[in-house]
Amino acid sequence: MTGNAVLDIKDLKVSFKVRRSGGKYQVRAVDGVSLSLAEGEVLGIVGESGCGKTTVGRSIVGLARPDSGSISFKGKDMSAAGLRDMRLNIRMVFQDPYASLNPRRTIGDSVAEAGDINGFFTGRAERSAAIAAALTAVGLDPSFAARYPYELSGGQRQRAGIARTILPSPSIVIADEPVSALDVSVQAQVLNLMMDLREQLGLSMLFISHDLGVIGQISNRVAVMYMGRIVEQATTRAVLDDPRHPYTRSLVAAIPKPDPSKRILGAIETGEPPSLFKRPSGCAYAPRCPLASHRCLVDVPELRSVDDRALACHNV
Amino acid sequence: MLSVRDLTVSLGPATAPVDIVAGVSFELGKGEILGLVGESGCGKSMTSLAVMGLLPQPGPRIRTGQVLLEGSDVTQMEPWQRVEAGHGRMAMIFQEPMTSLNPVRRIGDQIAEAVQVHDRVSGLPATARARELLELVRMPDPAMQLSAYPHQLSGGQRQRVMIAIALACRPQVLIADEPTTALDVTIQVQVLGLLRELCNRLDMAMLFITHDMGVIAQLADRVAVMYAGRIVETAGVEALFGRPCHHYTRGLMDCMPSRNSGARRLPTIGGQPPAPGTVRAGCVFASRCAAVRETCRSVAPPRAEVSSGHEVLCAFPLDDGGPR
Repeated sequence: MTGNAVLDIKDLKVSFKVRRSGGKYQVRAVDGVSLSLAEGEVLGIVGESGCGKTTVGRSIVGLARPDSGSISFKGKDMSAAGLRDMRLNIRMVFQDPYASLNPRRTIGDSVAEAGDINGFFTGRAERSAAIAAALTAVGLDPSFAARYPYELSGGQRQRAGIARTILPSPSIVIADEPVSALDVSVQAQVLNLMMDLREQLGLSMLFISHDLGVIGQISNRVAVMYMGRIVEQATTRAVLDDPRHPYTRSLVAAIPKPDPSKRILGAIETGEPPSLFKRPSGCAYAPRCPLASHRCLVDVPELRSVDDRALACHNV
Repeated sequence: MLSVRDLTVSLGPATAPVDIVAGVSFELGKGEILGLVGESGCGKSMTSLAVMGLLPQPGPRIRTGQVLLEGSDVTQMEPWQRVEAGHGRMAMIFQEPMTSLNPVRRIGDQIAEAVQVHDRVSGLPATARARELLELVRMPDPAMQLSAYPHQLSGGQRQRVMIAIALACRPQVLIADEPTTALDVTIQVQVLGLLRELCNRLDMAMLFITHDMGVIAQLADRVAVMYAGRIVETAGVEALFGRPCHHYTRGLMDCMPSRNSGARRLPTIGGQPPAPGTVRAGCVFASRCAAVRETCRSVAPPRAEVSSGHEVLCAFPLDDGGPR
């Protein structure tokens, strides 16, 4: 994007070895993704389950090992940047607040863990004060530091999960479906919190979700992924108000609108999701696509720039 | 068709019961889709399990109330008695099809098993009916898929299999507990469309449980909003979305991201739902209500009819649906 990109991903490829019915298969979860995240920006990644959006996030923090491609943080290649430095600067919020906190550690210990490992605190008093400040920043009472995860509701746990990522303060937060496990009323609270923190701490954020409604609320730009590739990337408004790629169109059309006078059931055709074991030869979306032509079946469309966006489609 | 009257489901000892469903009443007409909406812990799943006769044992029990299926109370019947009496024609589907299906049996056999119980046939006729059911739920290539195992199917296809099993008893009432929550939106829209089509075609009523207001708006004929074990508002779907009268309903709609595109902050409902049994007097929503008044904390709110078929459990309902 611009010169002040904090995170730059080039041609990332990640694959997994899977055993199925006696045979070994190579599943390519991410197949050549390039992204850049500007300072202070929230970039949303959206797609169906299995499209590789989580793997992109996990590759950035080193939880998945890329086959090829480069990830650089503030211009420095990540493999050379030193893991420790990178890990303090790039943090992750996970989907399930019930599974991502250690049940046998207090909230305070979990929140302080990154600081403890890196010798960030000089004394007990400083550590307690830092924990209290982080908890207050996410809207929890400092007394929560002494509690265990089982004593907290889902929304409180996710706030604690977010508190873990801001102590010490990072540059980038990777949020992988951070509100999907929460009730709608709590979801709104946590989304507001993330927007506030982003503003106060000047964070850049990669926000991964299957929910275009949530993505639309928090992101500046959106990348739409399908079978390991980006098929459309543009500003949030452009993607939501004027989706161009046939896949993005079907994603936008399938959002259940909270308006009984605009019913869509039976009116739209969305096709069956693909099998990761059988990648089509041409465009991966062609078997579901209403616009598919002969060329789509043989020729993989490259992501190219069209008007205000990047698009990977032969026919739009 | 189905009439639930003053249903109360309780936990704990009989001397000090904690009501997790407190006096729930609703009617479900022939072919009607009633959406039961609420957040986790509000008692919507417990209500459906109680209606179905599937409350986990030991555990919660029906303390008071009736569940009338075509006029006869089924709460006191054992499952086999329900089948004998001809009241077996109620079926249920759940959120995660993978945990409801047997992973080591072919789906054709699993559907045929339900057919055997209800039609008292086995062998070829049962398989033929299983295939017919797969066609009914629009499974691609039904004859082939009979021999598939659950892991070979996609999430949407597995849910179709669950629906096929549910339809084996030719239900008059289908209870669907968050059947599309685990699915992608593109697949969700297919499964919801299928469910509505089946209700129309088979003249089947459906109690559809969800936390998603968007899904409710797309699917339901009537809606019941549940909070802390009580139905706080019930109305036709147009009336509910056009003019929500309970402050909780209004709050649920306001905090949906899709209703606020472009807004910098989402409206929220402060606080959390009360733990069951902790509200001894007054309105259960009082602790979170923006329009709370003194009497709300001491006097239980009346059930008021704001218009025909639109009831609200609130002493001071929103009279114009609130500002738009």
